[in-house]
This record gives sequence, structure tokens and C-alpha cells, in this order.
Amino acid sequence: MTNHFIDYQHSDVWLCIGANPAENHPMAFRWITKGKEKGGKLIVADPRFTKSAAMADLYAPHRPGTDIPFLLGIMNYAIQNNLYHREYVVNYTNASYIVHPEFGFEDGLFSGFGDGGYDKASWAYTGEKDPTLEHPQCVFQLLKRHTARYDKRTVSQICGTPEDLYEEICKLYAGTGEPGKAGNIIYAMGITQHTYGSQNVRSIAMLQLLLGNIGIPGGGVNAQRGESNVQGSTDMCMLYHLLPGYNPMPNANTHPTWADYREKATPAAGYWVNRPKFVVSMLKAWYGEHATAENDFCYDYIPKIYGDHSHMAMFKAMAEGKVKGFFAWGQNPVVGGPAAIQSRKAMENLDWMVCIDLFEIETAAFWKAPDADPTKIGTEVFFLPTGCSYEKEGTVSNSGRWIQWRWKAIDPPGEAHSDLWIADRLFKAIRKGYQQGGVFPDPIVKMTWDYGDDHYDIVKVAVECNGFTVADGEPVLNFTKLADDGSTACGNWLFSGYYNDLNDPPCKRRDTVDTSGLGMYHNWSFCWPVNRRIIYNRCATRPNGQPWNPEKALFRWTGTEWIKNDVPDFNANVPPEETANNPFIMLPEGQGRFFASGMAEGPFPEHYEPIETPFKNIMSKQQHNPCAKLYADNFAPVGSEEYPYVCTTHRLIEHYQSGALTRNQPYLVELMPEMFVMISKTLAEKLHLKSYDWVVVSTPRGEIKAKLGVTPLIKPLMVHSKLTEVVCMPWHWGFQGLGRGAIANDLTPAAGDANTSIPEYKAFLCNIRKA
Amino acid sequence: MGQYGVLVDVTKCIGCRGCQTACKNWNDLPAVKTTFTADWTNPPEMNFNNITLVGFHTIEKDDKVQWRAAKVQCFHCLEPTCFEVCFVHAYNKTPEGAVVYANPEICVGCRYCQLACPFHNIQMKWDEVFSRVRKCSFCYNRLVEGLKPACVTTCPTGALKFGKRDELLQEAKERINSNPDKYFNHIYGEKEAGGTSWLYISDVPFEDLGFNTDVFQKSIPKYTWKYMKKAPILAVSLPIFFAALYAYTKRRAENEGHGH
Repeated sequence: MTNHFIDYQHSDVWLCIGANPAENHPMAFRWITKGKEKGGKLIVADPRFTKSAAMADLYAPHRPGTDIPFLLGIMNYAIQNNLYHREYVVNYTNASYIVHPEFGFEDGLFSGFGDGGYDKASWAYTGEKDPTLEHPQCVFQLLKRHTARYDKRTVSQICGTPEDLYEEICKLYAGTGEPGKAGNIIYAMGITQHTYGSQNVRSIAMLQLLLGNIGIPGGGVNAQRGESNVQGSTDMCMLYHLLPGYNPMPNANTHPTWADYREKATPAAGYWVNRPKFVVSMLKAWYGEHATAENDFCYDYIPKIYGDHSHMAMFKAMAEGKVKGFFAWGQNPVVGGPAAIQSRKAMENLDWMVCIDLFEIETAAFWKAPDADPTKIGTEVFFLPTGCSYEKEGTVSNSGRWIQWRWKAIDPPGEAHSDLWIADRLFKAIRKGYQQGGVFPDPIVKMTWDYGDDHYDIVKVAVECNGFTVADGEPVLNFTKLADDGSTACGNWLFSGYYNDLNDPPCKRRDTVDTSGLGMYHNWSFCWPVNRRIIYNRCATRPNGQPWNPEKALFRWTGTEWIKNDVPDFNANVPPEETANNPFIMLPEGQGRFFASGMAEGPFPEHYEPIETPFKNIMSKQQHNPCAKLYADNFAPVGSEEYPYVCTTHRLIEHYQSGALTRNQPYLVELMPEMFVMISKTLAEKLHLKSYDWVVVSTPRGEIKAKLGVTPLIKPLMVHSKLTEVVCMPWHWGFQGLGRGAIANDLTPAAGDANTSIPEYKAFLCNIRKA
Repeated sequence: MGQYGVLVDVTKCIGCRGCQTACKNWNDLPAVKTTFTADWTNPPEMNFNNITLVGFHTIEKDDKVQWRAAKVQCFHCLEPTCFEVCFVHAYNKTPEGAVVYANPEICVGCRYCQLACPFHNIQMKWDEVFSRVRKCSFCYNRLVEGLKPACVTTCPTGALKFGKRDELLQEAKERINSNPDKYFNHIYGEKEAGGTSWLYISDVPFEDLGFNTDVFQKSIPKYTWKYMKKAPILAVSLPIFFAALYAYTKRRAENEGHGH
């Protein structure tokens, strides 16, 4: 999130798209409720009439996988009706930049396409700008032409949202383009889990830039994360292509040496010019005295990636017999991963698997799945019981980037231990092995691992993440103190500052006094970066330093100094003019991007249909995202008669993720006991089905059996003049635990986003029949 | 000292059912076995181990659908019928406003209170012959310690607001008056059964939330006690009759079960 949950109360309008906070983020809804009391309006766009929709002032149904037309259509409305925030757009975005004369877009493809990918030479800026935004090749005019194709009629045809309702939504949301108004876009997995999920997010960011909604109280691009600490785990590089703090993972082809990495992974301008300081400090934290300038700080010890090692790629490699061992640590891919039947089959090729979890989850028990034959599986499975978050100490980072320390309430039961205890023992055992020799023992043997002998000291881990001065071991204030000469060590630059005072670590602070008057609570926990609660907050004021909305003034320039209600994301020691054209400090150009050449499939989002869809793409002859990553070929064809219904998955408040924790909780199992599928009354009538019938839902990946719920909350959508039915099901169940049921992900396709490889869980085709 | 109450604003309830779980947690009630319900209300009805229950209600009008969740439990009548009809005085109406089943040891299990409750919010264990009753106690053991009821404490959105009943009633009126287009002009519990400690406001009619809107607008004991107190034979014989019937059907069911 650019903002944080408490800040939701300052919004004039919320647009929830691909998110259902009333169901999945109830504490977020506390602040929406508070804002509604002050007159805020809630818009919810969702294929289902969700609990959030029930609370909305305006609800719009839209077909799964059609978020880009929905969002680009609002942009088009704002531009055509001159409702966008012009002063913001001119000053704080790249709207005025002139793009290469050869850049173009034709029939669904941008210039430079070939061989399944893009040559991005024509996606470059020329270096000129036109602050009048009139130049035909300036970003604003390109954007205007691109979005003009998404008029309300076209959007309505693609999305199935009634045209007049859509216009009402456009009007209400585009109204936040008025200076001083705040619009907040709230999203979650309904936006990201598509073969163009990254472009869905881009559409949100662009709409927010257009309406001047980034960097201001009540605004923002607000991703509500799917787990209480998924923010923390991504910050700590859960994803294979990252090092801690969003530094790229070294690549064997492009970064074989430290010199290559330093040169190619460091941009010429923007705050990332400091990357070498962050990475050197990280290496120093990992290899201590062994990391010297002479040996490139042990850069060579870091494994290099050489291709796609994302979730689906890994399971594909497993299926091909290339992966022999597997650690499933705090994740349950047999329930949570796409194409789960095929994934379970792939796991049968493993020699060994270690599963570390609270219960014997489906992944640990994959060999006794209902469709498995244990006599034919040779995998040796080790199960290590661990403690849940109340049974261990550490930090949890919420969606608003607040890193909050949590203390242990009780000991884990029986032989269970904290994850850190397990990691500590595991590392020490592996190191002992390598001390006897090995092909390349140095990266393990020389690694710094000094958290204690028998019992680890978690404070030592925290100080290492925070960073310290090598000479005296004293914690550094924050990442501005890090150096690239080996004099500082820091496990994750982004966390730096969260544990900089041993007696009063910021992440342990619980002060409920709010000095900002805007609910920033700077002394409650620590927020990365540097305790800044709203990022890109230079945009909270006009270029001259006066707040857009004096009643929600994050900053104000008095003529001689800045009045500050948050940690500034700009140099507050200089007058506003000097920082006015550099509010997005992480970008080399310093200005927000409508046009982003870093994206795989185009600098602007464009509507493509999901990999499985009943419809041809009416926007162009390009049916799917031309750069989508496909890991299988078992997809239903466009307009399949065998699989005529659009299917989507969702969550329930009663269950958490794959249900490993909650399906073992009697109270929660009582509330939501069984797997089910929900359909509209019209589909039920057509298929002669009724609530509580057992039904079979099928896709080219397989079939599942579940109970049926017929509900007025789901209605068919009129898409391209055709009534389109949507089948909805939660994905929390599996064959283990107290509450059991079919696995929804047995049905989902192994197709991924072009940039992130996130699977397309949210839009695919199915059929349904009585069991 | 004025009596306590809770104001339930149905327009703020997101149906998270934190209250339902918090109630079971605080009262240490066991989970019951359930199956899928198409409207998501679960268990489908209040029972001995679920003395507060969130009901989900879909309301369809003119091609539009509304979805509301409403929590139901003992409403804590200002003049409780259960208290009045109990001839052994197992009930207590506390000065704080809680109607508490305070003396279960003297309860004879006659179930008269359950029959008399105008809201059907008193639960019994039907598979025990001489079962005691169970109902929401307004978390009286928390109230006396200066704590709010467990359900109120857990509510994330402020749909449940704890306070003095007269102040809450005033606030309910203000919320309705300042937003007459939104709210249905009815404070449920203001007058029902002579007034209850729990008050509800809503943007849909209370019938649509499954509330009994035929309930007397005046204290029921005032109407009924003169009849009820003359019916001890009924009070004693009815439960014995039901118990015998239950024992009979249970044995039959068990015998049938052996056959499979």
C-alpha cells in the first residue's frame, strides 16, 4: 500500500475492485465505516454481490478478468469530461514526456513485437517535454488516444456492467480528480491473479495519477495483502527473483560478476542509485569479515538464477523429474497452487520432501490424497511441526508496511518449535556437513551465523536486519547511513530503522498518541521506509508547498520552512520549488509513470481476454496477453461449448488461505464447515439444480465434487449481448484436517502473468452438473 | 445509575461473525457439528451452544438485492417475561440491565421461560431430560469488572455499540433523524415487549431480518402474568410430557440406528 488502513477514513470515495474487505479485511472496513459516517462514498466492482457490495453506495457487477477496460474507461471518462487533476498530472507525472516517434500501437500490439516478446527500443522517451500536453507523441496524448477506445459502451459490452450504472460510477470516481478530493483504490487478489495482473495494477496506479490521488491522505494505490505478514515476506524476498528489500536476484546471464550487477542493476538516477550500498551491506551482514572489497564482498557466493524459477515453473520442473527435493515451509501448494492435481502428481517424483507447518497439511499428506496410490510413491516425507504466530516472537508487517513486533503468548505444543529455531538448527547441521567438505562449501561455511549456540537470540537477528556499523556493532539509524565500502552491514535496507534503538526499538512502540492529527500514529510500530506512513507524499501539496486540502494537510510550506505531519518523501530542508518535479523519488525520471517501459507486455495496459474465456477479444485480434506465461496446454478453447461458464475463486472470512490453520479450528469449522459452489438462480433453473445438491464442477484440469448454493447474490451478466453465468467457489478446503472438502485449485489453470508469473486463479472456464 | 444497553446498527454490520465466535470463546461453549448452509447462517438456528447467532438475509426487491447480517441473542427486556414466569426465581434482572439466569441450581427445568420469551431467545439442550436453560447473560461477569460484552469488544466496524441505554436510544434517534433516507424509521427494542436493553436500527424493515415484529409493544408480564401464574399445572406437566416424548423418540431412533 502507498497509504495505510487507518488512513482509509480520509477518503471521499473508495473504489474496491478485485477486493472484498468486508469479508477478507474486516479491520480495513472499520475505517471505511468511519469514513462513510463523514460522507464518504463506497463503490464496489465485483462479479459477485459480496459483503463489501452489500455495504456499497454503488455496486457494479463485472465479468472476471475485465478490470482493465473497467479502469481505462474511467480514465477515458475523466479525460473526455476534463475531470482529471491537471496541475498534478503536469507536475508530478510523465504525461508531458515525448515518446520515440516510432512508438505505436496497432491491433492489440505495441511497436516492437516479435517472437513472443517485445523489443522496447521504441518505448523510450526522446528527452523532450511538452507541459501543454498537446504534442501528439507526448504521453498524455498517447494515453488519451489509447483510453478513448474504452468508451462506456465498449466497456459495458466487455464487462457486462450496465452502461448507465457504469457511467454513474465513472462520474462519482472521476469526481475525486478535483483538487483537494481523495479517491482510494482498494484491491487484492481479484486484480493480481490474472495473466495480465500486473497491468491491472498499472491501470489502478494510472487512474490514481490521473486524478491526483497518490501521496495524499485518503488516496493511494492500496493493495490489501492476502496474509497478515505477506508484506513482510515479500519485503524479505519470498519471491525467487528478488533479494531482501526488492533488489534483483543476481542472474547468471546478466550479472555473472559484482561489476555487472553493480552496473546493470543500478539506475542512473532516482533513489535506487544507492542500490550498491544496500547490496554490499547485505553481503556484509551475510559474510562478515569474509566479505571484502577485494573479493567483491563474496558476491560470487550468491546463487544466480538462470531462468524462470517461479511456482509453476518449479512444479513443471518437478513433473519433469528435474527437482528431487522440496521444502514446503509455511505453504500448502497442494491446496493453494494452481492445477493442483498435476502438482500432486509432480510431487510423486520427489525423492524427499520436508514440510514445516502447524498440522499435517495436504502438502505433507500428498501421498495419501484421495487420488494418490501410496504404494507407488517413493518420496520420503519429513514433517516438522512449528508454532503459530502466537507461539513465537518476531515481526509481522501489515499491508500498510507497518512492521509490528509480536511477543510470544504461549509455547508451541509438544515437539513443535518456532520457525527460527528450525532454521537455526537446520543451518547449523548443514554447515557441519559442509565442514567435512563438499563441492563448494565456502558459501555455507563462511556465512555469518552468530545468533547463539543452543538458543538463538532473536534480537541479534533483528539488529542484523536493521543494520549496524561493522566497527562497533552499533545499530545504524536507518538506511541513509549505509555505505558500499564494507563499513556497514544490513540484512534488509528497507527494514533499516525498525530496530535502531535496543532499549526502545521502533517496531515495539505502542504509543496511541497521534501528533499528526491525521491518524498517522508515528510512534505505533515502525513503517518502512523510515517510518513514512504515506509514500510519495511530496504529492500531498501543490508544487508551491500548499496542501491540496488544507483540512488534511500532510505538509505545508510556510515560506521559510515545512510544517510536517509525516516523514517527508523529499528534501524538506529546501524550498518546495526544488523538489516539485521529483516527487516519485524511486524512479529515475522522478515523476509518476502513465507510460511504463518496464512492463513486459506494453507501456500501457490493454484489454486481453483471460486464457480461458467464452469470448473473442473485441478490442483487437490479439486474443490473449501476447507475453503470458503458459506452463501447460490443458486449457479450454475460446468459446468452449464443453466448458461454457466463467468460474472464479474467492475467500471467506472464516478460513485463512488453504485452511491449514482454520480448518483445524472447531469454531471456524462450525461457521463454514464444507466446500461449496455458488451459482445464480437462472443457472440453477436452467440446469435443474437446487441448493444442497451435490454437483460436479469440471475444467480441462479435472473435476471436483461440492455442495451447491443457489443465491440471488450472483446474477448472470450481459456480455456482448449474451447472458453469461459466473460460477463462484471458495478455495479453502482440502482432504486433511477437521473440516474437509474438495480442492478448488484442482480446477485452476497453470497460466501466469507476463511479469510476475502469478497464476490466473480468478477467471477460467468450467462446466457444472449434478453429481 | 441507568441501565446498560447495546445499539446494533445493522447498516454497519459486515457479517464477519466475530461476535458469534467471541461469545462462544468467552463462555467456553463447544463447537457443534454443522453442514453447509446456502445462506451462510450457521448453525441455521440458535441452540444451546450458540446463544448469539448472526443471521444472513438476502432481500430482493425490484430486481435489486440487499444483503444484511443481524446478530440475535437475548434482548434483555426491561421487564423480562422469563424472570416473571419463573416460579423458583432462577432469573435475576440486575441493576445494570442484564437478565441473568443466575440460579440454575434451583431451576426445575420446566422450560416455561423458554415458552414465554417473546423473542424465542432462550435455549435448552433438547437431548437432556432435565436440562437447564442457557441464554446470553450480557456478559454479566464482564460487566461487573468494567468490561464490555465479548461480542461488542470484538466488533471491528462499530456495528455494536455498548453504553447506557437511554443515551443509546437518543443516539439511535439522532442517527435516524440525520439520515432519514437511509434508515428505516423504527428502533427495534425501544418499545418491543415494553422495551429491551438491546436496540436495533436498520435500513431494511425488521421483518426482512427475521425479527418478530408482532411482539407486544408493552411489557408482556403486565398482560400475561395474571394468567400465567395460575397455570402451575401446565408449567409442571408440559415439560414432563415433552421429556417423556423425547425419551421415547430417542430410544426409537437408537433402535432404528442399530438396524443399519
